[in-house]
Amino acid sequence: MNTTAAARLDRATCAALVAAVLMPVALGLIFFYVPNDADQGFSQRIFYFHVPIAMTTYALFAWGALNAARYLWTGDVTLDLRSYVPMHLGVIFGTLTLVTGSFWAKVSWGTWWYWGSTELNTFLIIFLFYCAYFMLRFSVDPGEKRARYSAVYALLGVGLIPISVLAVHLGQDVIHPITFTDHGANMDGSMLFTFLMALAAMLSLAVAMYLVELRGKRLDEQVTRLRRLAEGTR
Amino acid sequence: MNRRAFVALVRKDLVLELRGSEVVLAMVTFVVASFVLFRFGLGGGRTAGGTRAATGLLWVAIVFTAMLALARTFAREREHAIWDGLLAAPVDRALIWLARSCSTFVFLVAVQVVALPAFWLFFLQDGPAPDYGVLIAAALLADIGIAALGSLVAGLASAGRAREVLLPVLFLPFAIPLVLGAVSATTGTISPQTSGLHTLERLGYLALYDTVFVLFGWGLFEFVVED
Repeated sequence: MNTTAAARLDRATCAALVAAVLMPVALGLIFFYVPNDADQGFSQRIFYFHVPIAMTTYALFAWGALNAARYLWTGDVTLDLRSYVPMHLGVIFGTLTLVTGSFWAKVSWGTWWYWGSTELNTFLIIFLFYCAYFMLRFSVDPGEKRARYSAVYALLGVGLIPISVLAVHLGQDVIHPITFTDHGANMDGSMLFTFLMALAAMLSLAVAMYLVELRGKRLDEQVTRLRRLAEGTR
Repeated sequence: MNRRAFVALVRKDLVLELRGSEVVLAMVTFVVASFVLFRFGLGGGRTAGGTRAATGLLWVAIVFTAMLALARTFAREREHAIWDGLLAAPVDRALIWLARSCSTFVFLVAVQVVALPAFWLFFLQDGPAPDYGVLIAAALLADIGIAALGSLVAGLASAGRAREVLLPVLFLPFAIPLVLGAVSATTGTISPQTSGLHTLERLGYLALYDTVFVLFGWGLFEFVVED
């Protein structure tokens, strides 16, 4: 194992350790520390799962799109995996966002899906975009062309997000609880602290998953390359 | 910009269409058949959901029809090796995208010349109707967005396996905000909710959508045709 791979192993382990510490702390805060919401009571606690997961999904998408742009700019093939892996994780976190959002809608508004919620509906569009990205990626043979096409489509998503937010705002009423306003967070100190811990836990989990999956995919590529070489020399 | 090359590229698409009549005729038949299907599907007498629901159906039908055109034009070029000729030509790749977008726009407008009166006949003649000026303006703005983005996405889809399935899958997430904006612009003019500013805001949104995806198409198409 070379030095770079060893350093990556360390980073992945570190991120996993941070996530392993922060996750139970965040869960403890959510269930035993933070007070019940005055309006929604105990069930409002799903907020500490739903919003950090959604924010992590956006962060993963932004990282994937940034690497896609860097790939098109530089042509560095290693950036293709750095773009693909966050998109893959984004689908997983995106699914969790939709599921937790649906639960929150049920306890808040009494329905599993509310078409008047801008956040839920914008996220649904972005989730469909993520799924389409995978359809494209797996319908083109591996190689430079697949990397290029995936990068182009990932970048188109950068245009889709603000356009979707605007479209949903134009078409519907806003009834989603507004947690963050221009004047800061609409929460008391303990709630904000719990939220930030939950966000840090979710982000560190995503970073750990990103580094582990990236390493796995790179190993997979190396094995495929070695197998081809071995077949060639036979 | 090489204007002669651009005119030649658009002319090539239009001449191919005039000689073969493969795309526009299929689109017109498809869109009218969709209206009939919706009309019977939603009930014979009055449309369930009223004019608002009908306006939504119009935009859905237009998006599906546009996908038909995009898939067919790219498939035709692959079948007849026109694509190889285009790539060998010493023209800017962005120009190929622009010409393709313009010809798709022309096809869409041609289809809507038939589709909008048919829509009026099937859905609007016996109920409150939207402002026709707004409907036409929204249709033209939506056509620009569909043509610009569709030409880029169809290029991506045409290189994959199962490209007929891939194009709608890639295009539909982008069509949702377009349909939302277009429906919002047209139904906003149906009485009693008439407001000039409200309509202008929604048409402005469609113009913004066009601007964003025209810029993306112009900048990214060269990566789609690098072979």
